[in-house]
Amino acid sequence: MKKSMKTLLAASLTAIALLTGCGSSAQTADTTAADSTTATEAAETTTTASTTTEQTTAASSDTSTDASYTVGIAQFANHGSLDNCRNGFIEGLAEEGIVEGVNLTIEYENANADGGTSSQIITNFVAKKADLVCAIATPIAQSAYSICRKNDIPVIFTAVTDPIAAELANPDKTPVGEITGTSDKLPVTEQLAMIREILPDATKIGILYTTSEVNSASTIAEYEAAAPDYGFEIISQGVSSSADIPLATDSLLEKMDVDCLNNLTDNTVVSSLPLILDKAAKKNIPVFGSEVEQVKIGCLASMGLDYVELGKQTGKMAAQVLKGEKKASEISFETIEEASFYYNSKVAENLGITLPESLTSTAKETFDQITE
Amino acid sequence: MTIILGVLEEGLIYAIMALGVYITYKILDFPDLSVDGTFPMGAALTSTLILTGVHPVLTLLLTFLAGAAAGCCTGFIHVKLKVRDLLSGIIVMTALYSVNLRIADGKANQPIFNRDTIFENEFLTRIMPEGLTPYTVVILLFLIVILCKLLLDLYLKTRSGYLLRAVGDNETLVTSLAKDKGKVKIVGLAIANAFAALSGGIYCQQKGFFEITIGTGAIVIGLASVIIGTQLFRHFTAVKATTAVILGSILYKGCVSLAISLGMKANDLKLITAILFLLILVAGNLNGKKGRIHD
Repeated sequence: MKKSMKTLLAASLTAIALLTGCGSSAQTADTTAADSTTATEAAETTTTASTTTEQTTAASSDTSTDASYTVGIAQFANHGSLDNCRNGFIEGLAEEGIVEGVNLTIEYENANADGGTSSQIITNFVAKKADLVCAIATPIAQSAYSICRKNDIPVIFTAVTDPIAAELANPDKTPVGEITGTSDKLPVTEQLAMIREILPDATKIGILYTTSEVNSASTIAEYEAAAPDYGFEIISQGVSSSADIPLATDSLLEKMDVDCLNNLTDNTVVSSLPLILDKAAKKNIPVFGSEVEQVKIGCLASMGLDYVELGKQTGKMAAQVLKGEKKASEISFETIEEASFYYNSKVAENLGITLPESLTSTAKETFDQITE
Repeated sequence: MTIILGVLEEGLIYAIMALGVYITYKILDFPDLSVDGTFPMGAALTSTLILTGVHPVLTLLLTFLAGAAAGCCTGFIHVKLKVRDLLSGIIVMTALYSVNLRIADGKANQPIFNRDTIFENEFLTRIMPEGLTPYTVVILLFLIVILCKLLLDLYLKTRSGYLLRAVGDNETLVTSLAKDKGKVKIVGLAIANAFAALSGGIYCQQKGFFEITIGTGAIVIGLASVIIGTQLFRHFTAVKATTAVILGSILYKGCVSLAISLGMKANDLKLITAILFLLILVAGNLNGKKGRIHD
């Protein structure tokens, strides 16, 4: 018995060892093949897995003639907006002539909101000699900067709400090193103006946020600063995990007696949005979103960001750096200039609210049903 | 090479915490979940102290002490207030979440990129030869871990250290020696959590930022390191348990890194960890039936 178990342990260890040995050569092709599925929707490549593999091998042999790039995309969590960012990023690169499968190899990894995994993902990119690392969301952007600055690899971030607070940019917006990117700072004043237009009599706006998400805290501060100009009072309610959301929502809706709820890009809260929407709908209280995906699933309206656009903008910045036109340290981080208006006519009908013509005529996209 | 360096960096940082988990899990037989709170506490305290201008080396000492204090809380709740071991850990872990946010000035993420740390300062750039710069972090970490290990080894050989081991093995014996077993447990938990906080502090200095979520699953990493280390090296009598734990931590991080570079989706990482865990445990258990029950 003892012997057989020893053999079993030995066998499993050998298996691990074997995997190490043969893994390194095949892995690049594997990952690229797997990732091409995500990319196909974005960039209209019809490249099959096999051609991708060929391209990869070809790319490594003739770096001298026509430049070919390896980009590591590290995404912090699984999240609709962040996925949009990534697809936009690949599109943006493609628009600048850096097309996946042709002259671009993409290594994509998702850290599933785990800090330890984040830094290991970045270390792997460094080991694979990535020309550039694209980091999506604040914590992984910090990991990327902390590791890449020691290895002279430029970092392009996106979906970082406050790059200055995260020390990824100087207070004057200039880069702190070979790192730049785009911020998904919400258009707070535009959103407040929109709410005022839709709900002329409202006074209290309730906002749910997670105490562990640094972006939410800074956005709330901005809302609190701007709200009096529009005659609003912000009532914020912090939660520490999604388990607290039902009670926190009740407290906002019942006790605080808010006139509407407003959603940030807070990951935890967004994941529980259907529950919040359900509770709010029962009390006939409108919920405003912060981006298009939230309006799709039942928020009344949003003056929000288009994350695909944000990703594209980021991709174009990355292209400049890759082509050597500019160094990352020479480009200040960017934000999306204009906010786009989205609304859901089905939700408006359910709530019995008529949206003013001045807004609906400017809508970038309208939804007439609630996507479950 | 970069991957190996990365694994060594991560492995050595978590090895310090694993040494702490070794004390509670292996020696005291106490499932101490407060580590999930003390690890980020070390990081939170470090980022705040460094921002206020405290010397990086001094912050290490302070985080160590703060961790010990948190460990005492767990011990006190368990021993004096008679709350079950698992629950007292959970209580402290939960409380520390809020405490950590307070320590970090209400921020869930506090960067210290441009400050001097033990890994980046003038003194180091002056004394380190040019060729060694890529290895600075690993060398420093190695020295710190060895120091921690030697201190712990020394401690375990003292009178108090022997009592600690006795409490885990046979509580009655300790009582019959007219010693307070509760006090011994509190001391053990204090040391364990001090190591966890120190590990978190070093993590923060190396990565350049504190993030509230880094503690999630810290105990799992610690346990994995302890189990992998002690099971794999159980028949090598030359390898001390503390050394085995450090090697276990590096091996664990190596496996994670391997899984990532093999193109395994990060979604599956936890499952792979769990299976690896189970395999080693089962192999160890069946193996152990014939041999000793205790390590």
